[in-house]
This record gives sequence, structure tokens and C-alpha cells, in this order.
Amino acid sequence: MLKIQDINAGYGFLQVLWDVVFEISEGEFVALLGPNGAGKSTTLRTIVGLIKPMKGEITFKDTQITPLTTHEIVNMGLSYVSESLNLFVNMSVYENLLLGAYTIKDVKIVDETIDFVFNLFPQLAERKKQLAGTLSGGERKMLAIARGMMSKPDLIMVDEPSLGLAPNLVENVFEALERLHEGGITILLVEQNVTLTLEITDRAYVIEQGKIVLSGKSSNLKKNDHVKSVYLGI
Amino acid sequence: MKITELAGRKRKMTGITNILQRVGFSPSGFILLVVLAVLPFIPPFSSEFILRWLIFGAFLAAQAVAFDLTAGYINVVNFGFAAILGLGAYTSAILANTSPYLIVQTGLTPWIGMFIGAIVAGFVGFILGFLTLRLRGLYAAIMAWFVGIAILGLARNLIKLTRGSLGLSPPSLLETSSNRPYFYIILTMMVAIYIICKIVTRSHYGLAFRALGQNIDAARASGINPTKYRVFNFTLSCFCAGLLGGFYAHYFVSLTPQAVMHTSKTVEVLAIAFIGGRGFLWGGILTAFPFVFFIEYLRSALPGLPGLHLVIYGVLMVLVMIYYPKGLAGFVVWAREKIKIYKEEKNGGF
Amino acid sequence: MAERINSNDKTKTRKPAKKRVFGKLKTRTSAWVVIAVTIGLAIVIGKVGGVAQVVNAVVSGGMWALLAVGLALILGVMNIPNFSHGESFMVGAYVAYFVFSPLYKYNLVSGSKFLFIVGPFIGFIAAALAGFILGIIIERLIFSPLRKRTRERWVMNAFLLTVGISFILTNGTNLVIGPNFRGIPRYWDVAPFSFLGVRLTVDRIVAFTIAVVSIAVLWFFLRRTKTGRAIRAVSQDESGADMVGINIQFIHTLTFGLGTSMASVAGACLLFMFQAYPTVGLKPLYFAWYVVMLVGLGNVSGAIVGGFIVAFLQAGTQQFIGVAWEEVVPTIVMMLVLIVAPSGIFGSEVKGIQEQ
Ligand SMILES: Nc1ncnc2c1ncn2[C@@H]1O[C@H](COP(=O)(O)OP(=O)(O)OP(=O)(O)O)[C@@H](O)[C@H]1O
Ligand SMILES: [Mg+2]
Repeated sequence: MLKIQDINAGYGFLQVLWDVVFEISEGEFVALLGPNGAGKSTTLRTIVGLIKPMKGEITFKDTQITPLTTHEIVNMGLSYVSESLNLFVNMSVYENLLLGAYTIKDVKIVDETIDFVFNLFPQLAERKKQLAGTLSGGERKMLAIARGMMSKPDLIMVDEPSLGLAPNLVENVFEALERLHEGGITILLVEQNVTLTLEITDRAYVIEQGKIVLSGKSSNLKKNDHVKSVYLGI
Repeated sequence: MKITELAGRKRKMTGITNILQRVGFSPSGFILLVVLAVLPFIPPFSSEFILRWLIFGAFLAAQAVAFDLTAGYINVVNFGFAAILGLGAYTSAILANTSPYLIVQTGLTPWIGMFIGAIVAGFVGFILGFLTLRLRGLYAAIMAWFVGIAILGLARNLIKLTRGSLGLSPPSLLETSSNRPYFYIILTMMVAIYIICKIVTRSHYGLAFRALGQNIDAARASGINPTKYRVFNFTLSCFCAGLLGGFYAHYFVSLTPQAVMHTSKTVEVLAIAFIGGRGFLWGGILTAFPFVFFIEYLRSALPGLPGLHLVIYGVLMVLVMIYYPKGLAGFVVWAREKIKIYKEEKNGGF
Repeated sequence: MAERINSNDKTKTRKPAKKRVFGKLKTRTSAWVVIAVTIGLAIVIGKVGGVAQVVNAVVSGGMWALLAVGLALILGVMNIPNFSHGESFMVGAYVAYFVFSPLYKYNLVSGSKFLFIVGPFIGFIAAALAGFILGIIIERLIFSPLRKRTRERWVMNAFLLTVGISFILTNGTNLVIGPNFRGIPRYWDVAPFSFLGVRLTVDRIVAFTIAVVSIAVLWFFLRRTKTGRAIRAVSQDESGADMVGINIQFIHTLTFGLGTSMASVAGACLLFMFQAYPTVGLKPLYFAWYVVMLVGLGNVSGAIVGGFIVAFLQAGTQQFIGVAWEEVVPTIVMMLVLIVAPSGIFGSEVKGIQEQ
């Protein structure tokens, strides 16, 4: 579904990604792991078109999306939940969700999807009218993921949903992701919480200093020595 | 202090070049200045008609230098610049008044009045500096604009002092009908303003200005006192504007609020300064003269199209700002570097 | 692109919530104080100068509000402090003049009752369209390329560009149409109404109504429609808007067109007061900026109230201090406001304005 070939990307003169290659098939739940500053977020930003790669090709659903702009890519069914969430803080939860469904023309589908995400995150349903800026950290994460869901994407990319959350909330969020995956959505998850991530994902890639250094089935990676020593602290 | 050391560090140079460099002239710049100084004796330029263009060019150039001191260094666009210039002009004109229609009839000689005008303008600049001190770029620009409009409003309404929209007819500076002496006066003013501003910006003040222009909080954190430098910058710039206003009053011998203080006058100077390139001071000088000639030529060639030159000003300014924000001076510096590299490569080949 | 991502990181390290609530309270109080003072001023003006003064102030308040809302919209959504807003007003005035005058002349001959009533509205609509198109052209020609080139120092550069645009438009008009004043005595040749003992011309009533209706329509559009919501989304978080699939370029063009169009409508409605000439926009621009600085940059709802506050302040100045000080008082008021509440009495809603 998503294919990344030899991507080089960065900010201005600073190159962050070096020949990044990976691939996600339909229905998969894939993780992208790595230490701080490895370039995980940069990878996602490049995929979604916020940064233009210096080299390489990105294909989504058999279409070259490298030259497209972000909103065109989103329109194709790719959704991105950023690290900083980028919520519309002066709008209500409900309005944020409506905007998430901006690409969908059919009002009925929008209503259905809203029901679906409220079902997924009951806390949000209770706070429908509340301003997004006044939500708690965990609720914001949920809202961001819910907003990402609203466009009925085929692939959703989530950047560090566990960042700054209490353990029980992390589990909440991860459960929600699992349920999405069970519902047939392809997910690319960027995480630092390696233990939990390797539990729930099918496959994972490890990126270090802008290069993919390891990849494989999550269950296998758990046993990998490098992963064990660096990420699992065993 | 480290800053002073940095600013004081000069390339080793010999004799006259060294002195010139100290006051802000490159050899080629100095040659241009000398050419400018002898121009009034070379035929097409020695006619009174073209001398007026030269005077106007120098007047605009000097304004652009003073304007660039705030816009190009501390990054605050003084939108009340023309009004402050007008304030200097009016002060000097009113002090020189002898007619019984006004309440002030001091009849002071313009030679002193001009400097008093400059001091008054500088004082308002001092206040303006304080007023806009806490304000960031845009707020400061708008605030200065409002102050400028207030000054314009006063000039229009304090009829007993200014004759309102009718304007004043101040005495002329010299008792001559020739333009040549005036040219040398304004040229001296321009050079003096340039040298003063250049010396200031070459000193540790210049570094402080730039630091404040880049990021006021970071500058403050590294121990630069914004009050001192910003207020000083405004005061100096407005002082120069006031002095030029005095020249305007006693050269053109006609003064109306609309003609000197209007916002569009500030925009003209802004256009020249920005097309010339921000933060170099000499960019405006380099632009002003060709501009005035081009414009005056247009005006005489196409008399049916009044204000075409202003449209061209605007279009050029917009184009420069979008596509070449460094302006003419930036281009010259870039070209000079290229030539230097080319020469070195050539020499290295042998 | 990098710039945009940076600015998002900044929203993350916002001030802690507690402080923000307090800040909001403080701006709220100062807003209420100002509103109370304005109402008090209105009453005093009514008592001393007569109801006519108050009614006049309300009518001009509507116009300043309409102008300021357009300015605030462009500022809030695109971070462009528009100095050419007055020229949009000017374009509206000219278009209304050139559309309405022939209709009027034709009508003198034909005597069509329908055209008599509708004629001015055709002028207004033409002005609105012209303003909209002008806005689109300017956005596409100038801001779009600038945005693609660099986002560095955006606010200041955008501001200076609008200064250039204003300069081009005024002088261009002077060149093409000439410096002559072109005005009309009135749109509708009807005897004035009497309201609270005040004689009000139809022109004034219509102008005020149009201002109120335009603002209400804009309000509804921003709050209740999908596109309007997208506009607000762009103003709150551009990257976020990008991520939900909003075409930012389209929203920017639309917003600039809308803002410009509102100023043009104001110019058209006020043609009977402000004759069309190249620099007619300076005064409206001045008042629009006065309002926007007073209430807080980019604060659209604040701008509506602010229009009336400014109108009463001006009426009060004329009544009690003298017309001569008309240009001095705003400067002093603004100075005081910026000292007490540096981001305006209702608070600023523009991100990135605080950085240079
Ligand atoms: N907007 C930016 N401008 C310049 N450099 C940036 C920018 N954003 C990130 N970088 C740099 O790019 C590198 C990779 O950053 P990135 O955000 O992709 O890391 P990451 O893997 O997501 O790390 P983390 O786990 O901390 O989120 C870092 O060295 C960072 O400093
Ligand atoms: Mg990251």
C-alpha cells in the first residue's frame, strides 16, 4: 500500500534521512522505532508531503505521491497524526472532528464516522462541546487520533501517541489503535514505548541516525540482541 | 568587551584606503562620490534644470540612509518618518518667520533654525523610541504611523502656528538663484549623515542594533539593553530627518503638511531604501540618483502620465521584496565577492 | 516548510493554562471597562450634543466595523497586516460610481421605478465582485509567490508588500482615472426619515443595514459552513488544516478576496459621503487600523465591537475636545491601550505577530 524508496530528506541544509526504504502492505500494523532524533517524525512528514524529499520516491496505492501537496495526499486516503497534534485549539471537539472529515462530501458518512469514533473514545463523546485547547493531554491525543480517523483513511500514521501519557492512558490509546487495526485499517505507528509496540504490531522497522538498520516481524525483533540491549534494556 | 574587539578588528590596510574604509567608503564608492561632486561642472549636469534633479537625488538618498538606520538595523519601520522630517522643516520655517500672520515671529536665521528643527525632530524620535520600545515590528510601525498622522493633523490644525493647509513660505537659505551651492550643501549633509550612521553602525552599537533587529529577547538575554540602543537609534535617525527637513523648507521655500508629511512620502523613502537594500546604508544612495534621473526623464518624456514614476516605484519595490530581498546593495556585494573569487582563481592558475 | 513545522512546535510550548485563564480574565475586564466607558460616552454625547450625534456615530461605527472585520480576517487567517485595505475601499467607491452613475442618468430619462430602487444595489454588488476579484489577483500575484519563497519574517514582509500594493493602486488610479473627485449627492432621491427626532437619509440607513447584514453573513459563514470552518482552522493551525486535507492556498485566496470585498462594499455604500478619488482610502484605512489595534490584532469578533467604540471616541473628541485634535486623540488612546493591554483590549488572535 505504501512504498518508500531511497528517500533522502531534511531541513534546509541539514539532511536527516539517508536512503530510507520500507514498505507497508494493506491491513498491516507496522511500527517505526528509533531513538530521539533518529528521524522518525521526519519520515512521516516526508511521506505526508510537509517536507519534500531531496531524493527518492514514495508510492501510495500505486500512485507516485512525491510531487503532491499535503492536502492532495490526505485526500487520497492517507491520514497523519502529528507529534504536536495540531488540533484546532479554539474549536470544540465536535468541530475538530467535522474538520477531520473535510475531505468527505457525504454528510451521512460523516455522521456515521463520528458515531464510530465516539464509540471508540467514549471520553470524547462526553466532551463534545468542550474546546480542544482545554482538554487534558490524554484526551487531546485521542481527539487527534479520532480526527485522523474522520477522513476514513486507508492508512493512518500516528506519531508517538504515548508521549507524555500516564501508563493506563497509554494502554487506552494502544487499545484503540488495535481496535482500528482489527477494523481493517492499515497503521504506521511511530513509538518509543518499544515493549508495548512490539506486542501489538505485526512488523517493525528500526531507524537510527536517519537510516533503517533493522526490520522484521515484531515477535522476532523482540528477541533481537540489538533491540534487546538498546530498546528493551535487557 | 568581545563585541568591541570584533567590531574594531579591521583588515590591515594602508594610508588613504584605510581612512576611507574607516568612514565607510570603499575605493569605488569614493570614486563615485568624487564624480558626483564634480558633476555640477560637467555640461549636461551643470544646467540649473538638471542640478535640481541632482539636489533632489541627494535629498532622497540622505533620507534613505537615515531611514535605513532604523529599518535595516533594528528592523523597525518608522512609518512616521516623513512627518518627523516635516516637523524639522516646520520648526525651522516657523522660527524663521517674520510675517505678522503667525504668532511666532522670531526671524531666526535658517542656518540655526535648521539645527533647532533637527533637535526637535530628534527629541520626538527619542519619545517615539520610548513609545515603541515594548512593541514588536508591526506594532511599532503602526504606532509610528499614528504618531506621524498626529503630527500631520497638528500641522494642519494649529493654524496660528502653521497657517494650516495653506502652508508656509519660509525664507531661502542662500541669496542666490543658482542651484549649485545648494547641491553642495545637500551633498555635504548626505555624506555627513552617511559617515555618522556608518561610524555608529561600525561600532559596537551596530552589532547591538543588528542583534536587537534579529531577536530582541535573545539580544536582551545576552546583555544588550534594548532601551538604550533602540532609543538612540530612533533619536539619531529622526535628528537626521529633521535636519533634512530644514533643508527642504529653505530650499523649496514652500511647505504644506500634505507635501512633506503625508504617509506616501514615507513610502517613497521606504521604496528607495528597500530597493537599495536593507542594512547597508549606501544602498539607498546608489538607488536614489539613477532613480531621480530616470523618473524626471519619464516625467519630461511623458508629461501626460502624472505619477507614472510612483507606480514604477511601487512595482519595483514589490518585485524586489518578493524576488530579491537583499536589494541593489546585496547584489553589489554579491557581485564583488564573485569577482574577487574569480580573480583569485585566475591568479592561482599562474 | 521547515518554518511551518517550527511554528507548530511553538504552540506546544504555550504558556501554562493557569496563566492563560488569568490573562483572559484580565483582557475581559479591560474590555468591559472600555465598553462601559463607551456606553457612558454615548449617553453623555446624547445629552450634550443631541441624539443625532449618537445616531451618526452608530452609523459610522457600523462602517468602521465592516472595514475592521475585513482587516482582522485577513490578519487572523493569513498573518497579513494589510496596509492596502484602504485601496480596496477606493476600488469599491470607484466601481460603484462608474456603475451607478450611468444607471442614474438612464433613469432620469426612463423613470423606471424598479431601477430607481435597485440601481444602487447593482452598484454595491458590482463593487463587492470587483473587490473580490482584486483580492484574488493580489493574493495570487503577490502573496502566493512570497509564501512559496520564504516564510521568514513573514508578518513584516507581508506588511511592507501591502504598503507597496497600496502605493501602486493609489498612484495607478491617479494615472489611469485621474485625481478628480467623483461622487454622488445621494443614492436614493427620497426625503429623509425621522427617527427619534433625528432626520436619517435612506442612504445612511441602507449603508448601516448592509454593514450589519454583511457582518452577520460573514459570521454565519465562518461558524456554520464547512468552508468557513476551514478558514478558522487555517487561522488556528495551518499544519493541522493541511493534515485534514484543507487546500490552504484556496483558503488563503478566498479569505483575501472576502476581506477585500468587504472593504469594497464599504467604499460603495459610503460613496455619498466619501467621494471617489485615488487616496480616499487613507482615512478608512486609518480607522480600520485604529479599531484593529485597539481590540487586538486579528480578533474578528472584537473588531465588530471596536468599530462602534472608535466611532463614539471620535464623536466624543469632536464634541468635547475639538475637531482640531481628531488625529491626535487616537494616537494617545492607542498609546494608552498598548501600555495597559499590549495585545489589545480583547486580546490578539494572531500567531506569529509577537515574533518579529
Ligand atoms: N523543523 C526542523 N528544522 C530543523 N531541524 C529539525 C526540524 N525538525 C527536526 N529537526 C532535526 O531533525 C532530526 C530528526 O528529527 P525528528 O523529529 O525526525 O526525530 P524523531 O526521530 O522524531 O525524534 P523524537 O523521538 O525525539 O521525536 C533531529 O536532529 C532534529 O534536530
Ligand atoms: Mg518525533
